[in-house]
Amino acid sequence: MIEVQGLTKLYGTLEAVRDLSFRVAPGEVLGLVGPNGAGKTTTLRSIVGIVRPTTGTIRVGGHDVTRDPVAAKRLLAFMPDEPHLFDYLTVEEHLRFTARLYGVADVDRRLPALLQELELSEKARVLPGELSRGMKQKLVIACGLLHDPRALLLDEPLTGLDPAGIRRMKETIKERARQGAAVLLSSHLLHLVEEVCTRVLIVQAGRKVALGTIEEILVDRPDLRGRSLEEIFLALTGS
Amino acid sequence: MIAAALYLVRRSLVNATRHRVARLRQPKYLIGFVVGCLYVYWLVFRPQSGRAFGSAVTPAGDVWGVGVLAALVVFNWIFGRAETPFTFTLAETQYLFTAPLTRRQVIDFKLIRSQLALLVSAAVSALFLSRGLLGGLRLFHVVGLWLVYATLQLHYGGVALLRATLTQHGASGLRRQLVTVASLGTLVALGWWSLRPQLPGLVAAFARDPAEGYAAIAGAMHSGLLGVLLWPLEALLGPLRAPDAAAFAARLPTALLVGVANYVWVVRSALAFEEAAVEHAVKVARRVEALRQGRALGRPLRARKAHGLRLPRLPLAATGAPSAAILWKNVVAAMRDASPRTLILVGALIIGGSLVAGGGPTGGREVLATILLAVGGIALLFGPLAARFDLRQDLEMLDVLKSYPVRGRDIVRGEVAAPVVLLAGIVWICLAGGLLALAGRREADVLTTGDRFAILLALLSTTGAILAVLVLVQNAAVLLFPAWVTIGRNRAMGLEAAGQRILMTAGSLVALSVALLPAVILGGLVGAAVQAAGVDTAGTASAGAVAGSGVVVFEVALAVHLLGDVFDRLEPGALGGG
Repeated sequence: MIEVQGLTKLYGTLEAVRDLSFRVAPGEVLGLVGPNGAGKTTTLRSIVGIVRPTTGTIRVGGHDVTRDPVAAKRLLAFMPDEPHLFDYLTVEEHLRFTARLYGVADVDRRLPALLQELELSEKARVLPGELSRGMKQKLVIACGLLHDPRALLLDEPLTGLDPAGIRRMKETIKERARQGAAVLLSSHLLHLVEEVCTRVLIVQAGRKVALGTIEEILVDRPDLRGRSLEEIFLALTGS
Repeated sequence: MIAAALYLVRRSLVNATRHRVARLRQPKYLIGFVVGCLYVYWLVFRPQSGRAFGSAVTPAGDVWGVGVLAALVVFNWIFGRAETPFTFTLAETQYLFTAPLTRRQVIDFKLIRSQLALLVSAAVSALFLSRGLLGGLRLFHVVGLWLVYATLQLHYGGVALLRATLTQHGASGLRRQLVTVASLGTLVALGWWSLRPQLPGLVAAFARDPAEGYAAIAGAMHSGLLGVLLWPLEALLGPLRAPDAAAFAARLPTALLVGVANYVWVVRSALAFEEAAVEHAVKVARRVEALRQGRALGRPLRARKAHGLRLPRLPLAATGAPSAAILWKNVVAAMRDASPRTLILVGALIIGGSLVAGGGPTGGREVLATILLAVGGIALLFGPLAARFDLRQDLEMLDVLKSYPVRGRDIVRGEVAAPVVLLAGIVWICLAGGLLALAGRREADVLTTGDRFAILLALLSTTGAILAVLVLVQNAAVLLFPAWVTIGRNRAMGLEAAGQRILMTAGSLVALSVALLPAVILGGLVGAAVQAAGVDTAGTASAGAVAGSGVVVFEVALAVHLLGDVFDRLEPGALGGG
């Protein structure tokens, strides 16, 4: 579903990502981990089409993100770490606006259930300025899930959520994967990655350090066998 | 404490200056800085006539100075807020209120820190008030103004603390108002009682010569009970109004005495003001954030939240062109930004004002037409600059916009359409209203209904085309030169920012001229051809305007297409925020 081939992104002379290649199949949850400044967010933003790769190709559902961005983005949902919302649209209006852009014809039918699921029903006609950080995050999630995306990109998805919200978010990720969505999850919370991800991609300074299941990664580093993902991560990145 | 405050002031100033100087290496800041300097030079030092600051020493200056100061104080007593003793930043509340400091030390810290800003304000004010007459710009004007500003700051703080104290003691809003209004009412009544016997003489003096009238008022202000009441204001203004250094030195102690009295009042206030200050800091931070996100100045959206009724409820169909969704979003934003109360007030003022000014049915219609056409003209020329609910605001959300499955040209189309639609609505209503109002005039009867329709058609199409170009030019500037344009409403400050804005405005005017040139040529040709065919003037104008507008529509469509490609290539890193 998500295919990244030879992705390189330069900001002037700064090499944010260098020759990165990976795939995320339908039903798979790939954890993207790395130290600060490793290029995780740049990778996600390149896949979403917010920034253009300097070289390399990115395909979502077979559509080239650079050449056919509209078709590729229609299959995607991106949930950034900071909830960016239009200050002057209510919760419900955000959802209707998103539905229109993604062509969700049955938004009237979906909306109540989605609001209920994310505990936003009471806040439907409230503006973002009156929402807590967690509520804003939930609204971003609701907007992302509205069009049943086939590929989910999540950047620190648990930030600001309460314990119940965290549990629900984890369930949502797993459920979407079970339904066939490809999920790419970037997080510093290694226990989350360990819990929900089927494979892990470790990056450092824009380069791939390791990719695969924990078992596959340990094939090259048998000395790390029996260690937690946190210890493996620290050992591989030399942190 | 004083050392810590001075350290913070010194380091902040040094670091801010270093930052500003360092960024002058970038051409956009250097060029902006040079243009800004030239602009200020022209503004301040261009040859002007008048006595400038020197007029402050005349009786008229005395009357106006004391009057303005009294008005400021009274206004603050009546409309000031309880929760604003001093404007602490969030960082200040976090560091100062958790530090082992006494309340007096915190107040001292804040006062010391704010003095630099007040001094700069005083220097700038003195510079402008001197109208570039360097001889008139003396150090004591700056110091005098600084004393006024600093004392007003203290006084406002004292008033706010008093209000907060009353609140803490359970006085409701109405009772607080009653206390202040009653106190002020007593003072005003005493002043009036003192002034009343002298009124006939003052009126007679004014009738003979305004200068004599001002001298008479100034004399009344310095004598009797009124003199006692106004003495603090007179004393405070004394150094500022001093004609020479000796007078300044003589008047300085009494002015300082007024300042010190206010300081003692603030420091000795019985209220623990920390809670109010913290609460206010949070509010200010929210207000700043709201401004950054493009909301109206200091007007929290919370107050207008809907429980359904007060928010606009524009429907949005679930499917259709994405550009229409962008248009819908921005129209909703514009409607939320505009207070219905303000619109009603403006409408009532226009209609009421025209009726009163007209003085009769026919005159009223003419005045109404004039005002409507003037409002329409202002909306046409300045609306595209002021109405920023398009890419100038939304580019702050570039990440979000770019993640949507929408082509750049659709986004640009929707963004540009919003101000055009709303401003065209205003301009066209004004035009139609103005022409309707004029239709009743007897002289207007020479125009047939067809003529009127033709003129209206010409005006509607022309104004629509001009609006489209003006809005498009603004959006093109932000897309093509994102680092040069202020994005959102977080206005950049400083000489370089002012210079950048001047350059962008000049560039926009050039672009506007270029865009309108083909339309004017084709419209002129069509008009000439129609006139040659024997059509009357109204019909000729209408045909030319429609043809010219058609050219503009084509240009705008082409530009939107091209700018869409620019949007698709634009990356968040290119935004410099002006």
